[in-house]
Amino acid sequence: MKSSVITEEEKEKAFKSLRKPEAIDRQKLNVRYHIEDFDVNDRPRRFLEAFAAILKHSNYKMALDHFIRMSAKCSRCATTCQVYQATGDLKDIPCYRSELLLSVYRRHFTVGGLLKGRLLGSGYLTDEKLQEMADSFWNCTACRRCSLECPSGIDHGLITHLGRYILSEIGIAPRALVVSTREQLEGTTKNTSAIPVPALKDTLEFLEDDMFEEKSVHIKFPIDVENIDYVFFPAVSDFLMEAESLMGIAAVFTATGDSWTTGTGYFDGINYGLFYSDRMLERVVKKIDAETKRLKGKNILIGECGHASRSAKYFIPTYCGGKDALPVINIMEYTHKVWEEGKLKLDPNVVTEKVAYHDPCNIARQRWIIEKPRDLLKAFCKNYVEMTPNGDENICCGGGGGTVSIDEIRPYRTTVGGKLKADQIRKSGCEILVAPCANCKKQLRELVEDQGIECQVVGLHDLIYKAIIFDDSLIEKDEAKSESLPKGN
Amino acid sequence: MEIWLDAAKGPLFRLCFAIMILGLIRIFLLDIWGAYKAYRKAGDKTMPWKLIISRGMEWLFPVKRVAHNRPFYSVISILFHIGLLLVPLFLFAHVQLWKESLGFGWITLPYQWAFWLTLSTIIFAVALFIGRLLNKSSSFISRKQDYLWPLILLIPFVTGFVCAHLSIIPQTYQTFMLIHVLSGDLIFLLIPFTKIAHCVLMPLSQVVCTIAWKFPPETDEAVCSTLNKKGAPV
Repeated sequence: MKSSVITEEEKEKAFKSLRKPEAIDRQKLNVRYHIEDFDVNDRPRRFLEAFAAILKHSNYKMALDHFIRMSAKCSRCATTCQVYQATGDLKDIPCYRSELLLSVYRRHFTVGGLLKGRLLGSGYLTDEKLQEMADSFWNCTACRRCSLECPSGIDHGLITHLGRYILSEIGIAPRALVVSTREQLEGTTKNTSAIPVPALKDTLEFLEDDMFEEKSVHIKFPIDVENIDYVFFPAVSDFLMEAESLMGIAAVFTATGDSWTTGTGYFDGINYGLFYSDRMLERVVKKIDAETKRLKGKNILIGECGHASRSAKYFIPTYCGGKDALPVINIMEYTHKVWEEGKLKLDPNVVTEKVAYHDPCNIARQRWIIEKPRDLLKAFCKNYVEMTPNGDENICCGGGGGTVSIDEIRPYRTTVGGKLKADQIRKSGCEILVAPCANCKKQLRELVEDQGIECQVVGLHDLIYKAIIFDDSLIEKDEAKSESLPKGN
Repeated sequence: MEIWLDAAKGPLFRLCFAIMILGLIRIFLLDIWGAYKAYRKAGDKTMPWKLIISRGMEWLFPVKRVAHNRPFYSVISILFHIGLLLVPLFLFAHVQLWKESLGFGWITLPYQWAFWLTLSTIIFAVALFIGRLLNKSSSFISRKQDYLWPLILLIPFVTGFVCAHLSIIPQTYQTFMLIHVLSGDLIFLLIPFTKIAHCVLMPLSQVVCTIAWKFPPETDEAVCSTLNKKGAPV
């Protein structure tokens, strides 16, 4: 899919609001996002020390060795990168971005590079190069679509991931991500949205009342129940912004009768560590595991969130026991399973609008969940359309890799990062866009608003909530309902 | 001239060929050893083999990908690789040389096939060079070796074609043949140390990338300890 390059006017709009002269001057960093203060002295040396430490304790070295021998510089990756397609800036070519870090590795961590560097007295890491890396790695949405198009099989997403990790070790990381993670790991509320437990309980009670009014069914959000099948971890922002997704999930569990709970010890599925630091990734994953074990849960259930699902699915086994780790499933897998078993019935006459499905990169790129949500949607949406390309070759929403959390760069995300997606949505003509990911939903809502597209962005379970058919035995009769309603209603 | 030619076809060829084989074996084994060590360290040892094989095959036999992006470049690149592999391996004259030294030979290309494959490889190498030069994204990220390789690969094909298909005087023939053999030797020598190493490493790419995402457990503490960051705030 081709996209026209953004105009000068759009470019100015995209970048103007991002420049923060005082921060740039203080930190000697020409970044286009808001970052924390950090020590600016002797950064190249500290970067190399961090790089060496990470290589020592990780599996990146063998991949970098492979990549420096393989890279053919064919630039095929440029044809699929939505950022490069929008900006036309050659420095946004994924292979160029990767080379920024590979050249440092080649020069400072290989025998050939060390000898060549000593002989020629060249190739030293400089402040300017660090600035370029910081800028470049955070322009990328980490969607990893480029890795599919590389004939040499180079995973540019992995290199960006590593580059961000090393930079974060010397203090270069987006403030929005660091502050949220700090609250999640060291704060009193233990979640990225800083929701206190009493507020969480109030919210859930309010939603329960709301659902009873709408559906005449006692749909519950069980809290701190032990010995259950599923311990639930949504993106915590769902409690504030995606009530309908949560209501849909609760409704599905009510219809099936399976046991589930939200724990008050820890209830946040968000893991920004995936975007900027493996150390933070490990810490967050361990919290999810510990809470599930505290509640003696059998499965870890992740809500509608791409990066939360990926970080739990792929890294709970890594950090929490390998093959003995607790199983991780995404809510779409659960809902699809119970629908296939006939435990979930959906009304095909409720959703009549043109509906399309957006694949979150963190869920679809590795071909994890692609057909299941489509099966569900096709079962009850009369007018379902596909956007192309889709599945593991989907186009990123433009807010991936943590960039959606940085509000200061909204014009960049909706003008540059999401341009190709906007073209795709427009072309599909959909009236409802289903995006089962908290980050994608936020980005896509901002995208359709800024790009003037008439389209409603919802979660999968928002629609399921509308279409779910409850068993008669669960529906309260009118008299009983008026007695059950809370006072004041 | 004949002494030079004999040296280039004899000891020099054997040396360069041995360096290529040993060099390729070395980097192949290093890659496998690196992946194995990483796998041993990984906390999660499950491997999605179906995905690894399917994605690996997409590029080893890039039929699906041809029309996907830059179809003209893709088709030329594939045809170039086909000629590049088939002509040196299955040319009648080359197989005869192997037969003389090893005592056995193998299937050879018919004359017409060899003629057209050699010619097309030359044309495609030139096309790839020009394509790299003119495509702004390719030329922006290209290194010196990326421009040099198509040109170096052209030398044995052009000289071989001249020797096999054009009527030239014996002295000129020997000069062309010497350049043909020497350039072949140079290519063998360079293969393990340049990007052409992808000829043996490519099948490992998907495995390497998959294992690279399999992190070792307890790295938080280890990295903190090495960087003296224990107890430091997030």
